[in-house]
Amino acid sequence: MPVSSRQRIAASIVLGSCLVTAAVALNVSWILLNWREGLLLIFGVIFFLVIIAGVVLNTIFLVREVRRNEQHDTFINAVTHELKTPIASIRLYLETLQRHDLDPDKRREFYRVMVEDSDRLTRLVEQVLRAARSPRQRLLHRTPVDLRLLVTECLDVARQQHHLNADVLKLLEAPDLPADTTVLGDPDELKAAVLNLIDNAVKYSGSHVAIEVELVALGDGRIAVRVRDHGIGISAPELKRIFRRFYRIPGAVALRVKGTGLGLFIVSAIARKHGGRVFAESEGLGHGSTFTLQLPRAPSA
Amino acid sequence: MSTILVVEDEQHLALGLQFNLEAEGHVVELAESGETALERLKAGPPVDLVVLDVMLPGCDGFHVARDLRQWGLFLPVLMLTARGHAEDVLRGFAAGADDYLPKPFELSIFIARVNGLLRRWEWMRQLQSTPGPSVRPPDRFSFGDRVIDFDTLELFHGEERLQLTAMEARLLRYLVQHHGRTVSRKEILEEVWEVREDTDTRAIDNFIVRLRRYIEDDPTEPRYLVTVRGVGYRFEPDNHSPG
Repeated sequence: MPVSSRQRIAASIVLGSCLVTAAVALNVSWILLNWREGLLLIFGVIFFLVIIAGVVLNTIFLVREVRRNEQHDTFINAVTHELKTPIASIRLYLETLQRHDLDPDKRREFYRVMVEDSDRLTRLVEQVLRAARSPRQRLLHRTPVDLRLLVTECLDVARQQHHLNADVLKLLEAPDLPADTTVLGDPDELKAAVLNLIDNAVKYSGSHVAIEVELVALGDGRIAVRVRDHGIGISAPELKRIFRRFYRIPGAVALRVKGTGLGLFIVSAIARKHGGRVFAESEGLGHGSTFTLQLPRAPSA
Repeated sequence: MSTILVVEDEQHLALGLQFNLEAEGHVVELAESGETALERLKAGPPVDLVVLDVMLPGCDGFHVARDLRQWGLFLPVLMLTARGHAEDVLRGFAAGADDYLPKPFELSIFIARVNGLLRRWEWMRQLQSTPGPSVRPPDRFSFGDRVIDFDTLELFHGEERLQLTAMEARLLRYLVQHHGRTVSRKEILEEVWEVREDTDTRAIDNFIVRLRRYIEDDPTEPRYLVTVRGVGYRFEPDNHSPG
């Protein structure tokens, strides 16, 4: 698939450049032949420039469209896989329970697996629905949320989900962090954002998971949640792109991790809705990455 | 009792399949990635069937199936995948799968297919151990643009046909069977010539020179049958020149 799309991109670029060259050649020869007809000449030049600009724009849009289609395909594939895997697993365990007379311990284990799979399915559905919401949509439920409490909760959920203990996924609080860490917002959305960041940190850590989640008060009335991992890291050109919808870093390292390309897009949409922002920092591949979610603190009563 | 290798990175599915296959009386091994599966199949004791997920991290199921077939491992491969489109199914078969089951699947169908493939594999092995001239599949091996027919001891290269001697064919077959691995002169003496004393190994070198004349485009610059200095020889069927 990547080869054919690369060919398509190459073909449209070649076509575009051929058309531009042809137009320029036509223009120049026309000028050489008809240089006396002044006014008409100027008019003609402008006309040709417009055509050339049109061709160039067309090529750019075409290339973008091909890229977008490609990302769409990867997304559909990823979602298909992410949907069907837990469904297949639940079905397999149900049929196993039907087929065999199992002792109570085994049965309990199988029930636990099925619950985990249905949780996974629910998370995926929520993620897709969240991504479908417009980033410009206004927040409906804006309530005071204690960020410290929310982050602690998220850490508990993540530890349970990924079977990690507190040594490898820990919460750090800056010494100057005020007692009041309230922000105004939708608690579900904020939880989704923080969980997505922690999830990513775990997924891209490989076998050596060591993640610090830090709460920091910034001077200008904002508060930040920083998620730092020591995983595969991000190269400088990708630091901004990773927040685009469906975007996944191309290349072998990132492809080893399954994902839909929605997580960070959702985080950045949620951050913007709350008047905050999110950004990534990394010292390059292999040096881990840090994601910072900044949110405005609630005006103190 | 058969040994089944389940290559699946989703732990829940892998454990569920393992439980059911073991309940059927099979020995089950698990591999989480294509790379570990290939390593296991290359080294360890023989496996009777591979249950292969397509979407694996890193080297995917198509790749694993293709590599297996290229190594001359023809054990049955049952592919499992979330992608059930016609083109995916065709791609799976083209890569060397024997059967293809889209997820989610019915457990009884899965077990039936596994047992069906194992049955065929068992028949095939029985046929090979009691060779009958009319039923046995032709014993051929091809590499680059050459084909060796071990039944008639012939080597084909385009229009050319060359008759091998029994000893040449035996040596060649041994190298082909162990391709990709360096085979020592001592080992060749013991396994091909079946002599265990310290016989002069120069006889082997002469045979190698002859084989190179048959199978190399340029016998002075061998590509397929390479010398490993101080150890022995290695047959590399995939070393044909690019393009």
